Amino acid sequence: MHKLGRGHRDKVQQFMTITGASEKIALQALKASDWHLEGAFDVFYSQPQIKSYTDTRHLEELYNRYKDPYTDMILADGITLLCNDLQVDPQDIVMLVVSWHMKASTMCEYSKQEFFIGLQALGIDSLEKFRERISFMRSELKDEQKFREIYNFAFGWAKEKGQKSLALDTAIGMWQLLFAEKQWPLVDHWCQFLQARHNKAISRDTWSQLLEFARTVDPALSNYDAEGAWPYLIDEFVEYLNENGIIQNSQLTDWSQKR
Amino acid sequence: MNRKIIGLEEGLGYMQDGITKIERILEGRPEPPFNSEEYMKLYTTIYNMCLQTPPDDHTQQLYDKYRQAIQGYITSTVLPSIRAKHDEFMLKELVKRWANHKVMLRWLSHLFYYLDRHLIACRSLPSLKEVGLLYFRDLVYRDVHVKVRDAVITLIDKEREGEQVDRALLKNVLDFFVEIGMGQMNRYEEDFEAHMLQDTGAYYSRKASNWILEDSCPDYMLKSEECLKKERDRVGHYLHSSSETKLSERAQHELLVTHVNQLLDKEHSGCRVLLRDDKVEDLSRMYRLYSKIPLGLKLVADIFKQHITAEGIALVQQAEDAASSKASNAAAGVQEQVLIRKIIELHDKYVEYVTDCFENHALFHKALEEAFEVVCNETVAGSSSAELLTTFCDNVLKKSGSEKLSDEAIEETLEKVVKLLAYISDKDLFAEFYRKRLARRLLFDRSANDDRERSILTKLKQQRGGQFTSKMEGMVTDLTLARENQANFEDYLRSNSAARPGIDLTVTVLTTGFWPSYKSSDLNLPAEMVKCVEVFKGFYETKTKHRKLTWIYSLGTCHISGKFEQKTIELIVSTYQAAVLLLFNASDRLSYSEIMAQLNLTHDDLVRLLHSLSCAKYQILSKEPNTKTISQSDYFKFNSKFTDKLRRIKIPLPPVDERKQVVDDVGKQRRYAIDAAIVRVMKSRKVLGYQQLVSECVEQLSRMFKPDIKAIKKQIEDLITREYLERDKENANMFKYLA
Repeated sequence: MHKLGRGHRDKVQQFMTITGASEKIALQALKASDWHLEGAFDVFYSQPQIKSYTDTRHLEELYNRYKDPYTDMILADGITLLCNDLQVDPQDIVMLVVSWHMKASTMCEYSKQEFFIGLQALGIDSLEKFRERISFMRSELKDEQKFREIYNFAFGWAKEKGQKSLALDTAIGMWQLLFAEKQWPLVDHWCQFLQARHNKAISRDTWSQLLEFARTVDPALSNYDAEGAWPYLIDEFVEYLNENGIIQNSQLTDWSQKR
Repeated sequence: MNRKIIGLEEGLGYMQDGITKIERILEGRPEPPFNSEEYMKLYTTIYNMCLQTPPDDHTQQLYDKYRQAIQGYITSTVLPSIRAKHDEFMLKELVKRWANHKVMLRWLSHLFYYLDRHLIACRSLPSLKEVGLLYFRDLVYRDVHVKVRDAVITLIDKEREGEQVDRALLKNVLDFFVEIGMGQMNRYEEDFEAHMLQDTGAYYSRKASNWILEDSCPDYMLKSEECLKKERDRVGHYLHSSSETKLSERAQHELLVTHVNQLLDKEHSGCRVLLRDDKVEDLSRMYRLYSKIPLGLKLVADIFKQHITAEGIALVQQAEDAASSKASNAAAGVQEQVLIRKIIELHDKYVEYVTDCFENHALFHKALEEAFEVVCNETVAGSSSAELLTTFCDNVLKKSGSEKLSDEAIEETLEKVVKLLAYISDKDLFAEFYRKRLARRLLFDRSANDDRERSILTKLKQQRGGQFTSKMEGMVTDLTLARENQANFEDYLRSNSAARPGIDLTVTVLTTGFWPSYKSSDLNLPAEMVKCVEVFKGFYETKTKHRKLTWIYSLGTCHISGKFEQKTIELIVSTYQAAVLLLFNASDRLSYSEIMAQLNLTHDDLVRLLHSLSCAKYQILSKEPNTKTISQSDYFKFNSKFTDKLRRIKIPLPPVDERKQVVDDVGKQRRYAIDAAIVRVMKSRKVLGYQQLVSECVEQLSRMFKPDIKAIKKQIEDLITREYLERDKENANMFKYLA
């Protein structure tokens, strides 16, 4: 670090903060990209994650800290404790990312296997390392491909075991969370629409297609294809927007300013 | 043998003599024709000269001489004589000169035959005849063809204006144009035909512009027809046959295409008016004129379609107005009857038009179809066309129907009804309503004639396929079987002394799948009837095990003796009504709630029942208070004072409105049908885009109904949830079938 000029030092710091990688990795990546930060990110993300050795004994200790006294699983209390330890709000979306890494089957509980899989994948075997990885996990949400995976994962994770569809309230909560990350101007209208007109559970198809809709159709609906294969609910949503004057002449009128 | 060598001068001289002689003959001068000696002399001279070897070989010079002579003759005599004249006279002169020329060339070719053969063989020169023709073309034709053409066109125009012209002359001139092309039609086509066509165009353009303003549509068409006929005749008389198509097209264009819109849309005599006033002849003419002009014909067909649609809609509107202005139900029903009749008549009328005026042309069939598809899908006073049509059938088929017709007329009517069905898009709705009505007719013995019922089912089967009618046929068969079954039941009763229902009982067993669905109610049967049910069950179990009987009391009829003070009257009532009345054998006076408790019926049903027995025409029960409506606080008593002049009366129970149930049932059926269609399509295609999937489903389903695209979309999503289909990962508009 001492041999680096100030500019380079700053870049290394930035890199480490954003990716959560170690200094050594940061240097490697930056050198490889001739000290261009963006290039360095590309290099870093395209390389397989360097799995640092995780000590299984430490993992056991960690697991035991959180596991429920009566069942061999981490339940709600354990998760709350974990969040506290991590200094992260239990409602924080990063916990969703954690669950995704664990391939958790349902929210508010982790099996031992899921816990182990997740932490090993992230190269975590201590709380310290766990805390360090938090910013990395946040960054994963910025990746388009990963976000889609996490988003689609969220459906299976958030729904009741044995149900095929996701309860509306839960869905709305998840959407609010997810689209706070990935800014979608119509999310509030969507939620209002569902509560006013739909009042039923959300199918997986509708869930996944909504993301595509948010990604590809512009908020003023100028490139929305009414003859397309969008789920029926989304067609209704567009009608709702038009009927209520929210979209007029392909302009999104901002109601928040109209009161 | 020594042949004398003929010198050049001599030879030329001979030649010239021969040519001159012919010229003189043709000019009409006094000149004796060739005698055989002269002829032979000349012929032989030329012959010998051709055989002469160099230095006496003068064939080339002879040839040249010939050429010069022809040229000279043309230049000095032929051309000036033509030029000297004008117009028709010029044409006559031309024709004469041309004829002469051809004769001359023929004679000369014969005379100088060997020259012809020799030269052409040796040196590939144009034949004498060809040379002669070429000269005529280059010297005469080139010079005069413009004037000739103009003269011809002037004559043609004169003839068009009605004057007599010399047709033979024209034919000859035009033959000349063809012949002068020497094997090609280009002289005729470029120098004459093209200009003639242009002139024709201009001529008819002028005429049409005037006529279109002054004449009515029929008159204009008459004139056009005349003109086109005359032009065709013209070809026969003097134009070359190859001109026919082009000429017709040009004339047609100016007369019929340029002003087509003005013509068809003429305010007081245009196509719409002709249709309105049933001017069949004029319309036939219109068809004939436009049958070769696709654009025009389409316009006529469109007007035809609009006209029929408007008339149909007007009929619907009439019925709608009449229905809404009259308060009572009965009158409204009549209007709807009348409407169907009128639509049938409308259809008959315009089918005739299509066959007669429009010669069965596909465009007009289509126009008719499309018009009726609009008309036959209108709603009248809340009833869909499917329902209206079933009501109509009901009236034709039932005993008390308003349609009193002969058997033949009935057959015809049923045929036409089935034809109309083809236009209705919600055929499944028709089938469902039909089944409901059929059920009523069959079960309440209201059908006029079994044969008629079967007849219409046969016709429906022919038109719509076996699947359409299978349930209905099942229903009719059920009744036949039921009669047999009843006979067996009666035998059973006779031979089984233990089996005593106590009442005369007739049971009709219906096969569940065929009949419309009926709610079986939890009616508490009167004791007398309970026994009947038991006895019948006993009998039925001797016939078949493994079948479950569900009793539909709402469809039953009961004959009850009412022992009134004045006299006993037999009452024909429904089973439900009977159940109510029998309660009064045990109690004098009952409240609404008591009746309710004893019978275990719904409020809706009970109100209807009590109303029919206490507030309608026949008041078998008296009600406290004596109001016209039933309320839950009412009390009822047996009305012993009731009487009627008849000994047997029927107490009608107005039927529940089935419409909502039918629509709901059909809605459910459609969901299944859509589901099945999607699966069928995807199973065979494996992978398919959304739009295509939707359109194939629509096509498959259109036999029975017009599916709502949204409904199809919903079913697709349902199938995705049920894991029959999935979206393609790359392209969300593609679906894959999951085995």
